[in-house]
Amino acid sequence: MNDLVEQRIVEKYAPLFMPKTVAVVGASTKGGALPNVFIRRIRELGFKGPIYPIHPSALEIDGLTAYRSLAETPLPIDYVFIAIAGAQIPPLLEAANGRVRFAQVISSGFGEVDEGRDLQQKLADAARAGGMRLLGPNCLGIYSPRGHLTFTEIGPREAGSVGVVSQSGGLGTDIVRRGLNRGIKFSGLVTVGNCADIGPSDMLEYYFADPQTKVIGMYIETARDARRIFEMLREQKAKKPVVMLKGGRTKLGLAAAVSHTGSLAGDDRAWVALSRQTGCILTESLDEFIDTLLIFQTLTPCVTKPTERVVLFGNGGGASVLATDSYARLGLEVAPFAQNTIDALAALKLPPGTSITNPVDCPVGTLQQDDGRVAEKILDIIYGIGKPEALVMHLNMAPFVGRSKPEVLDNVVQAAMRVQSKFPGQAHFLLVLRSDGDAEIDARKRDFRAKAVALGIPVFDEIGNAGYALKALRAHERFVQSRG
Amino acid sequence: MKTQDLIAAAKKQGRTALDELAGKQLLAGFGVTVPKSVVAANAGAVAKAIAGMTPPFALKVMSPEILHKSDAGGVKIGLRNAEEVTQAIKAMAGVPQIKAARIEGWLIEEMAPAGQEVVVGAVRDPDFGPLVMVGLGGIFVEILADVAFRICPITRLDAVEMLDELKGAALLDGARGRAAVSRDAIIDVLLKIGGENGFLIQHADDFREADINPLIVSANGAVAVDARFVLT
Repeated sequence: MNDLVEQRIVEKYAPLFMPKTVAVVGASTKGGALPNVFIRRIRELGFKGPIYPIHPSALEIDGLTAYRSLAETPLPIDYVFIAIAGAQIPPLLEAANGRVRFAQVISSGFGEVDEGRDLQQKLADAARAGGMRLLGPNCLGIYSPRGHLTFTEIGPREAGSVGVVSQSGGLGTDIVRRGLNRGIKFSGLVTVGNCADIGPSDMLEYYFADPQTKVIGMYIETARDARRIFEMLREQKAKKPVVMLKGGRTKLGLAAAVSHTGSLAGDDRAWVALSRQTGCILTESLDEFIDTLLIFQTLTPCVTKPTERVVLFGNGGGASVLATDSYARLGLEVAPFAQNTIDALAALKLPPGTSITNPVDCPVGTLQQDDGRVAEKILDIIYGIGKPEALVMHLNMAPFVGRSKPEVLDNVVQAAMRVQSKFPGQAHFLLVLRSDGDAEIDARKRDFRAKAVALGIPVFDEIGNAGYALKALRAHERFVQSRG
Repeated sequence: MKTQDLIAAAKKQGRTALDELAGKQLLAGFGVTVPKSVVAANAGAVAKAIAGMTPPFALKVMSPEILHKSDAGGVKIGLRNAEEVTQAIKAMAGVPQIKAARIEGWLIEEMAPAGQEVVVGAVRDPDFGPLVMVGLGGIFVEILADVAFRICPITRLDAVEMLDELKGAALLDGARGRAAVSRDAIIDVLLKIGGENGFLIQHADDFREADINPLIVSANGAVAVDARFVLT
C-alpha cells in the first residue's frame, strides 16, 4: 500500500472511529435499555458531538431531541448504534437515504440461527440500499477512545497503539477490560459479530493503514474473508505485528463457533499455515493474546538480532528452575553465563544462597542489600559482559512483605531501568510480578504494576506468561529478518 | 497435450479422476519429472513397446474401474525384461477383479532410482482456497501425520520452511546411514504444484483432491511415481 491508498482507507473509516455525529436506535423514554446505557457511556467518555435518538413517537430521550427516522436528523449521521428487534431494522436502514456512514447492529437472531439467515441477507441488502456500511449484526459495538465511543464501562480516555477486531462481543469486552488493567492502550476495538458486511479483513486493512496503530489483534471464529486476510498479511510482511486468536480450532470448538456467529467451516491446518507464511502470531488463549499484544505495545522488536539468549533474574530458586524448563520448551535459551560474566558477578561477593549463573536467583536477603540498589551492580555486569537479548526480572512479592522496606521493590525496578538506559536497545526488559493471591499482596502488586506500566515496562503475572510473549516477539523478529 | 485439454478430455469421458497416464502427463506439463512410460495394448505388444527403455520396469493395469491398483493386484515392480513384463501381464489378466474390469491397456514404466519416499498433496479450504502439503512417505504421513501445509501460492522460502518443519526432516539429510537426498528437488516440485504459476493456482477449480504419492527423491532428483487427481 502506498501513502495515498493508506490515507484514503483511514479517511474511509474515520466516521466509524471518530464520528462527529452519533444516532441511537432502541433507547427507551424510561431509560435502562442498552442504547440508553450507550448514551450515558459515550457522554462519560467525553463525546461532545450531537447524539440523535431515533424513536417512532418520543419527543425527547435522556434529555436529547428524538427524531422519527435516520433521514430526519439535523446533520447526517457518522455512526448509528442499533438495538431493536431484528425484523424492524431493514426498513429503518433503507429509509436512511444515504445519510448514514456506519450502522452497528447489536441485535441478534440473524445468521447465527437457521431461521435468521434470510433476515441477515435482507439486513445487508438494506444497508447497501441505504448507502451505509454495516457492522454486525449480533455484536456489541466499538471502543474507540479517539472518538469517545465505548460499549463497555469506561476505562482511560487515552488512545494507544493497539488495534483489535473481535468477532465476539463478549470476548471483545474481556479484551478491553483485561487489556486496560494490564496497561494496554487501544487505537480501537471493533466487534464485527456475524460480519454481514464488514469483516475482519476490512478492519485489518484499516489498522495497517492507520498511523495510530502499531500492533494489530484479531479474534476470529470463522472468516469468509480468510483469503483476503491471507493476501493482506502476505503483502504487508509483518510490517506491523499481527496477533491472532482463533476460536474453533478443534472439532468441538468449531461446532460451538458455528452456533455463536453463524459462519461455516475452516480448517485449523490453514490457520497454522497462515501464521507460518505471513508471520502473524497465532496465540492459544485469551491470556496469551493479551500478553502478546502487551509485549508488542511496549517493546521494539529487534529484527537485526532476533532474541536468542534470555536471562532470568529474580527471587525464587524453584521457580527459576521450572521457568528454565518451560522456556526451553518454548525454544528460549536460558543458558549458563560464560566464565567472564560469572567471575565478575562472583567479585560482588553476594550473600550465600545467591546463584550467579543463569538463571540468576537472588533471595530477598540479597535483593534488599543497599535498599535494592544491589540489583544495579548485578544487572550492569549481565548487560555489559553477558549481553543477553532479553532479561526477565521476576519478583515474588510475598517474601518481601514484612522483611524489607516498601521502597526496596521500587529501587530494584529503578535500578533495572537505569541499566536499561545505560545500554540502549541491547536487551528486551520484561517484568514479572508474582502474587500468591493474598489481598494485601494483590493490592501492592496492582499499585506497583501501574507504576511499571507508566514507565513503559511490560508486566506479566507469571514467568511462563512472559515466556510465551517473548517467544512471539522472537518469532516476529525472525520472520521480519527472513522476509525483510 | 495441454493440461487444460487433459482435464477436458477426462471430463468428457465422464471420469471422476484422471487416469494414471493423464495424471502424469499433467504433472509433466508443469515440469515435474515422471517415469518414462509406454502403454501396451496387450501382452503381445510388450517387446516392441519397451524397445529402447531401461529396466527395471513397473507394470500397472489401466482401468477406470480399478481405483486402488495395488489392492486389486494390478501393480508389479522390479521386472527385468520384456519376457518378465509379458508374463506379468498374463498373470495379472487372470486375477478375478482385473478379469472382470474393462481394461484400457497396460502401463509400463521405467522404475525410479531408489530414494526417500515423499508425499506432495493438495487440499481445498473453503475460505483460504488451495493448500499444498508435504510429508515423508509411509508411516510419517499415514500414522504420525508429520506433514506441513501452506496456502497457495507459496514462495521458495515457504517451501524450504515446509521441509524444515517436518519432524522427520533429518531423514532427508542422510540420517541413520542413508544417503542424503536432494531437498532442492522436493522444493522445485512444491513450487511447480503450489507456487505462483503452479498447478494449484492454474487449476484451483478443477480438482477436489490431488496428490503425488510417492514422489521418490534421490540425491539428484525427484520422480513422481504415482499420482491421483480427483476431479470436481
